[in-house]
Amino acid sequence: MSFQEKNITASFVIFTLILGFYLVRIFQMIQSGSFNLTNMVRLWGTVIILGIVVTIIGTILTHIGSGIIQAIKTREEPVIEDIQDERDQLIDLRGTKVTYFASSIGVFLSMLTFAFGQPSLVMFSLLIFFGLVAQIIGDIARLVLYRRGV
Amino acid sequence: MAKYRINNHIRKLRFFQNEMTQQQLADKVGVTRQTIIAMEQGKYSPSLELAFRVALAFGVPLDEVFSYDPETESN
Repeated sequence: MSFQEKNITASFVIFTLILGFYLVRIFQMIQSGSFNLTNMVRLWGTVIILGIVVTIIGTILTHIGSGIIQAIKTREEPVIEDIQDERDQLIDLRGTKVTYFASSIGVFLSMLTFAFGQPSLVMFSLLIFFGLVAQIIGDIARLVLYRRGV
Repeated sequence: MAKYRINNHIRKLRFFQNEMTQQQLADKVGVTRQTIIAMEQGKYSPSLELAFRVALAFGVPLDEVFSYDPETESN
């Protein structure tokens, strides 16, 4: 698995966990009757900060971990190929395209709920939800392209 | 699985270049080893610039490294 594939796998796992956390917190809020603007804004802030901080830490830990495993297996100093060549850029571009496409559908569906009379809070909650889902779909697309070929 | 119209002889040329490793070729042309592997397996068709750099690394004309097969289906 290449440096880029490890990054994408780490991102995929982290965003899946964040999505899980987001859904669990929303269901908890709905059940306890505290699904209001203050709590939702707090949750969005948490999700955004988690997305940034955990991705950075997770990626670093993934590379340290895989470097240690490689060093143990080969008994040599691990070589990290952290350059992004034309194939990586092409895959990244296609993955981004998939992310934007999924995100656009998400925005459309979110606005549709608003148009059908749901409160704006529901729309914004769905926007964050579809943003996370789009990121995960984009990561899956990138991993598939690395495996299947471009 | 996608089928590619561009075939290559990179593996054979590496063999004739004193068993040049994939890493050595990757360093010469400025890409990762994974890209060389993908090219050899026919999972990636390189850009024109990279194709020329690969040919230059082997010291052969472009058409000795890559060939185009119009019969192969592509998607």
